[in-house]
Amino acid sequence: MDEFQLSEETVETTIGSSAYQQNRINQWTSSVVETSLNQLSKLGKPFKYIVTCIILQKNGAGLHTASSCFWDNTMDRSCTVRWENKTTYCIVCVFGLAV
Amino acid sequence: MEEFSGEEGSFNSEEASNSVKECIQSIIGEESYRQDTVNQWTAKIVEQALTLLVKQTKSYKYIVSCAVMQKSGAGLHTANSCYWDTVTDGSCTVKWENRTMYCVVSVFAVALTP
Repeated sequence: MDEFQLSEETVETTIGSSAYQQNRINQWTSSVVETSLNQLSKLGKPFKYIVTCIILQKNGAGLHTASSCFWDNTMDRSCTVRWENKTTYCIVCVFGLAV
Repeated sequence: MEEFSGEEGSFNSEEASNSVKECIQSIIGEESYRQDTVNQWTAKIVEQALTLLVKQTKSYKYIVSCAVMQKSGAGLHTANSCYWDTVTDGSCTVKWENRTMYCVVSVFAVALTP
């Protein structure tokens, strides 16, 4: 899926091999969602998009996420990208809703 | 986050926020973080929240996402961005916590074109 690859590349270029830093984390989450959204809108498909990003420091804490959607099963889709490096987990969800 | 209350055909984020808070409180209000049940909790929260929203009978598509994290000192940051119709579509995010865990629920409402 185009969207999946786009999101993966966006996370890689934004965070890459950086270690978790509390004073920069806000910039990273904002940058990941904004860049992903820009790339998605450039695809020019007739969709509305929602991009969510969670960045979590690796220290043994448990994290669970779930999502449920009330939409058109034939046209609408989502994809989730899970990325990690030595100090950080990053989860990006993209939801595409047909216009 | 903008409030769209009081307009016909726009998303009432305050009402949605209150529904979601009640939902979270009823499912994990008195619980401590448990690895073996947290999956069930997140699933229940998103399902119940979605059911409550759909009952409001407005013509929206909804997306509800929930993250539950154990309190252990780790940093957690979330961000959302949306490419949609800013007049009719809206979102709200509810942050909740108790002694052992954090819960963040986001609701996105996208208007159905008639």
